Amino acid sequence: MDLRHRNNVNVLGDGTATLVFSHGFGCNQAMWNDLAPQFLKRFRVVLYDLVGAGLSDLGAFDKAKYSALDGYARDLNEIIDAFAEGPVILVGHSVSAMIGTLADRLAPGRVAAHVMIGPSPRYIDADGYVGGFKRADIDDLLDTLDSNYLGWSSAMAPVIMGAPEQPALSETLSDSFCRTEPDIAKQFARVTFLSDNRQDVIGLTTPVLILQSSDDLIAPVVVGEYLHSVLPNSTYCLVDNVGHCPHMSAPQACAAAMQDFLAPWAIACAG
Amino acid sequence: MPAELFDNAACALAVASEDGTILQANARFSEWLGFSVAELCGRRFQDLLTIGGRIFHQTHLAPMLRMHGSVTEVKLDMLHRDGQKLTVLLNGNKREHADAVVYDLALFGTTDRDKYERELLNARNLAEALLQEKTATEVALQQAQADLNEAYAIAQRRALFAEQMVAIVSHDLKNPLTAIRMASDFLSRGERTAKERQLLGHIGQSSERAQRMIADLLDFTQARVGHGITIKAAPLDLHGVIHRAVDELRVAFPAATLEHHAEGHGDANLDADRVQQIIGNLVANSVAYGDLQRPITITSRLGDGACAVSVHNHGTAIPEALLDGLFEPMTRGTDQGSDVRSVGLGLYIVRELAKVHGGDVAVSSCATNGTCFTVTFQGR
Repeated sequence: MDLRHRNNVNVLGDGTATLVFSHGFGCNQAMWNDLAPQFLKRFRVVLYDLVGAGLSDLGAFDKAKYSALDGYARDLNEIIDAFAEGPVILVGHSVSAMIGTLADRLAPGRVAAHVMIGPSPRYIDADGYVGGFKRADIDDLLDTLDSNYLGWSSAMAPVIMGAPEQPALSETLSDSFCRTEPDIAKQFARVTFLSDNRQDVIGLTTPVLILQSSDDLIAPVVVGEYLHSVLPNSTYCLVDNVGHCPHMSAPQACAAAMQDFLAPWAIACAG
Repeated sequence: MPAELFDNAACALAVASEDGTILQANARFSEWLGFSVAELCGRRFQDLLTIGGRIFHQTHLAPMLRMHGSVTEVKLDMLHRDGQKLTVLLNGNKREHADAVVYDLALFGTTDRDKYERELLNARNLAEALLQEKTATEVALQQAQADLNEAYAIAQRRALFAEQMVAIVSHDLKNPLTAIRMASDFLSRGERTAKERQLLGHIGQSSERAQRMIADLLDFTQARVGHGITIKAAPLDLHGVIHRAVDELRVAFPAATLEHHAEGHGDANLDADRVQQIIGNLVANSVAYGDLQRPITITSRLGDGACAVSVHNHGTAIPEALLDGLFEPMTRGTDQGSDVRSVGLGLYIVRELAKVHGGDVAVSSCATNGTCFTVTFQGR
């Protein structure tokens, strides 16, 4: 299994600790373009695409394996084993915060810390829990995805997938940005928005930095506060930002909060 | 007159700030959504979408506009002031201002086209579902075929095993039986009391019966699970063969009165041993179930193009319900005569033997005329 090809893994930067950036639903590693470069001088930085997204190997998309977030978590652990050096800090956006949590649970002790950007352990409201959505809302999203299927044609696939032997150009990456094979997008949407990872986050003792957007439809403030209350070793940081992608729309605020949180490992590098 | 062009454009136009707040909207925009321009300004574009569209905006559109600088032909459902859905195609462009970034948005109504596209989608989904169903059915069929082949192979092995086992057991039983008969023959040559003679007679008859049972079992196994009963047909004197067979059967069944009738003339082409076996089985059957106070009649008949043998006894009629299954293995006419009956294979073997000779067996049974089994052969 060629992980580099399967997950379009890119390793940058220099340091004794490793930051592994994991993108969220809908996009690919290009969403880190404004944030990740700020850490290259003090950390080894690993970027990758979830299987089914970006320039990952679509042929590796196994419906059964990726019918739950566990499949993605196992991939993440393989990437950590193959490409990370020293202490590992996972930087996960949205659903990837939960993929990181599952990876941590699967291999306890391997992950030194988490940075969770716009995380949510459950999107649909439940008894005594506010996730922000009803089941019907998720069906409406699937319908919207369905409507935009027509924007995807099989002729587009080779262009977007790119030739594996050629280095991934940032231009190709931005071309493929947010374009996903429709069947994969729909399954990933279901897996993401119908999952319930509350039992996985509750009591996780690994240090966590929660970066919560002040105005976020997908992961509302109340969800960030919930996570802070159930993660015993968490730091909560409210970022003044509209939308679900503060690392894109407010990268400086995110970077500043992360630099503080990551200081112990950055010092290890300097030493 | 750019302002007039903007307002009267044939599509809805808006300018939004980086976070989606509408800064400017044209009259078409306000008309389509039922909000005044003043009401629209200050609202966020994404708040005018259905919930699915808002999630899509957050996860796809907003990042794409920021990264890629444009989006084209994105289909979204917007909500009219009265709650009605309005399906639009969105084109968006990022424009760098002196001090800020704005997005130029153009919306085209696509309600009718949307209906058509939904039909296409439904058709595609249906086709995909059917394909999946077909594939699943094919897989199930292959599995069933594989299961069947496996079951067949297992059945074959079991049949072979049963055949071999019966053959081995039968063969191994023959030797002790022969020893028993030789010993009883030897004993009966000396001076014996009446009681001893009677007991020796029992031993002789029982071992002969056991031998017939073994022969039946072997034939049954061959016919049922093996490769069929084999015969060696040759020209023979049917009347003579039956005559000798009846003589031997008189010794085997001393309690019965056996009469032989020979009718017609000519040669027959049959397996003599098998014909004797047929007569033996039918006579044993008549002895078991017939009236032993009255004679059992064995008739051999030669005629034009066919020959037949029949065995007739006077006895209670076989119930009508049993007649159909009489020639199936392990079937008995009644429970009477349980001390003389065999394993219930006799009539089955008679029918199988008749068939390999190109013939068949028939039975007639009634209270007045008694019971008569007739085997007709084609082999002449």
